[in-house]
Amino acid sequence: MTIDVYWRIGMEGDHASLRTPRRYNRGHANGYGPGNIAPAVRHGELDDYGYIDHMAAVARASESAGFLGGLLPSFPVTDDPWAVSAALARETTTYRFMVAFQPGFLHPVQAARMSASLQRATGGRLVYNIISGGGGPAQLWWGDKVAHDDRYARTSEFLDVLRGVWDGEPYDHDGRFFRTAGAALPPGLAGQPFPEVYFSGSSGAAVQAAGRHADYYLSWLEPFADLRAKFEGVRAHAEKLGRVPKFAVRIDIVARNTEEAAWAEIERGWAFVDRAAADRAAQGDSVGAARIAGWVPETITGYRDLEVQPNVWCGFSLIRGGPAFGLVGSYEQVAERLDQLVELGVDAFILAGNPHLEEAYRVGEEVLPRFGRSRLTAPAPAASLTVVR
Amino acid sequence: MTEFLWRLPTRGDGRRALPELRNRGGFAGPPPSTPATDVRPGRYGPFDDLAQIVHAAELAGLDGVLAPYDPLGEESWIVAAGALRATRYATVVVEFQPAFGTPVYAAKMSATLQRLSRGRLAWRIAVDTDAADATARGDGVTGDERYARAAEFLTVARGAWNENTVPGAGFAGTGFEFDGAYYDVIDGGFRGILSGLPFPAVHLSGTSAAALELSARHGDVHVFAETPDGPATAIADLRARAAAAGRRVRIGVEIPVIARESEDEAWARVRRQWAETGRAADEATALNLGDGRWAGFGAFGYPQPIGLVGSYEQVARQLSTYIAVGVDTVVLAGHPHIEELHRAGEHLLHLADPAGRTLAAQEVTA
Repeated sequence: MTIDVYWRIGMEGDHASLRTPRRYNRGHANGYGPGNIAPAVRHGELDDYGYIDHMAAVARASESAGFLGGLLPSFPVTDDPWAVSAALARETTTYRFMVAFQPGFLHPVQAARMSASLQRATGGRLVYNIISGGGGPAQLWWGDKVAHDDRYARTSEFLDVLRGVWDGEPYDHDGRFFRTAGAALPPGLAGQPFPEVYFSGSSGAAVQAAGRHADYYLSWLEPFADLRAKFEGVRAHAEKLGRVPKFAVRIDIVARNTEEAAWAEIERGWAFVDRAAADRAAQGDSVGAARIAGWVPETITGYRDLEVQPNVWCGFSLIRGGPAFGLVGSYEQVAERLDQLVELGVDAFILAGNPHLEEAYRVGEEVLPRFGRSRLTAPAPAASLTVVR
Repeated sequence: MTEFLWRLPTRGDGRRALPELRNRGGFAGPPPSTPATDVRPGRYGPFDDLAQIVHAAELAGLDGVLAPYDPLGEESWIVAAGALRATRYATVVVEFQPAFGTPVYAAKMSATLQRLSRGRLAWRIAVDTDAADATARGDGVTGDERYARAAEFLTVARGAWNENTVPGAGFAGTGFEFDGAYYDVIDGGFRGILSGLPFPAVHLSGTSAAALELSARHGDVHVFAETPDGPATAIADLRARAAAAGRRVRIGVEIPVIARESEDEAWARVRRQWAETGRAADEATALNLGDGRWAGFGAFGYPQPIGLVGSYEQVARQLSTYIAVGVDTVVLAGHPHIEELHRAGEHLLHLADPAGRTLAAQEVTA
């Protein structure tokens, strides 16, 4: 069995290193400080490069380092993944673009049209990361007043319509959130492969909607036993609907030649802990964020307090934006943990590391070969090695 | 200087008169397995042809391209984003209808595109779309209500947009509130990397009172199609409405062209194409409006029935007459696109707009 391994493309700018405060000097998320690149300062003026050029570099780097594709996440404060994917479509050859989006913001027929065109532009390399929104001020900012559980109902209906129009036959739908009458993709766009659906959400409503639509149920990393229990709940619900979902985990990785070297990297970053920033990011009605908060100890005396099981560390959100859990250890150890996750049911990984460009090479060159089960690094079956005479 | 834009073909391209026989770009349907259309992943694909057209527009010196809203063609945002990435100078006008999603999301996608293109994105809002298309999308807003919704859409999009740079503050907005008939926003407004960017120029079209009123209040460019009587009356009407609203709206005209070295060659092309569509030759002649304008372009799949036919000088002269009545944006079209773009760049633009298209200083010759 081989595993699909994706990399994450930072959409918010990127650090030069975890050893520095949260200053994203790649891109211009924080203005143009000394040492900024994309854009850089040349002869006292900004050059014409922009963060899109750096995202293109990360996409090409992770493609060449052996990743199947990249996740383009979406936040109110970042670039938009549809726009970025469409801009970068022609700059890679095999790389899949996993577009994160919220169904409430686009009409499903529009999403179908954009998706089919993007499939044509990339030769079928679009993947969906369906997120239903974390609630809180950010949701209202978008003009979205729909309540938590209804957002999942809307997501479910959205995907019904998107699939309904996909094959090009006229499709009628009269639902709570969307209506169509005789909608269809035109013959020129119909017939593309339907994108694989990665679906995230930890609430009961999310699990219900996931059971119906997810090809891959996607979770942040959690302690392995909790993750196993979560997956069992999704599997049980999906089975009632006669579906068998696959599972994916999004994991930050700090892997070095030795375990000590990896923790030393964390220790350097620990000097810049920002607890308040992590708390702010947890606003809203996200059940997943609340789950994470439950594992973080009340009092923290040092970074090792947050190692909830060997090599599983829940302090990442304190030293950079994003989810709390990740793997820290030697290349061997991290590869072993990935193997263990596969044994408990994981079919795909979205890996990440800061800085995204260099860590794509490091993880691709050092961890993936030891893991040995990625679709792109697994040994080919013996039969295919037969020399043709 | 007059702005020249080019309407991209998002439903395939080719030499043939009938759109369904145009074999570039993968919309002609089976069987034609032509060298320019191999849809196997990783092989030559439909967007390769579009990319060449975009490149041709950039190299030929056009000021930009229009990625049209066409329910039967490639999706315009995907086309526009690729075009912005592939060009240095071109304005890329993305056409979409307001019911495609929320105005905040349109603004968000646009902020990314403005960032990556250093401000080269423009919007064309397709307010008055085909009724069957609207029904299919479940859009029950009809008649002049569509213009009211478009006005709200633009108000919200501009309200969320901050052209001045605003420092980031988590997920907080900048206090933009909107509680309308179609859209709601609470503490919206772009900060950080999404702020400090130019709002896309808004292109609109249509000749109804509601359409002109929307442009007068919210539009930057109003694009007219040709009519037998010419655009002068409609232009005057729009100008009066805009003046009443205390605004100025730039005038555009969208016009297909068939321009050749000689008038005879241009008309020979018309007759050849006309015959391809299976129509009688004298019908084509009957559609000649007599002043270089010809009303048969609809038969070749153009959304504008009236276009220009003639020698380069004649077509350029007609374009100059538009410029003389105050048109400052011309949206051209012609197929096959790569070839026609080169003709326009090399033979038409400098004649129609000498002030903007020739060097001010003495040209250096070897």
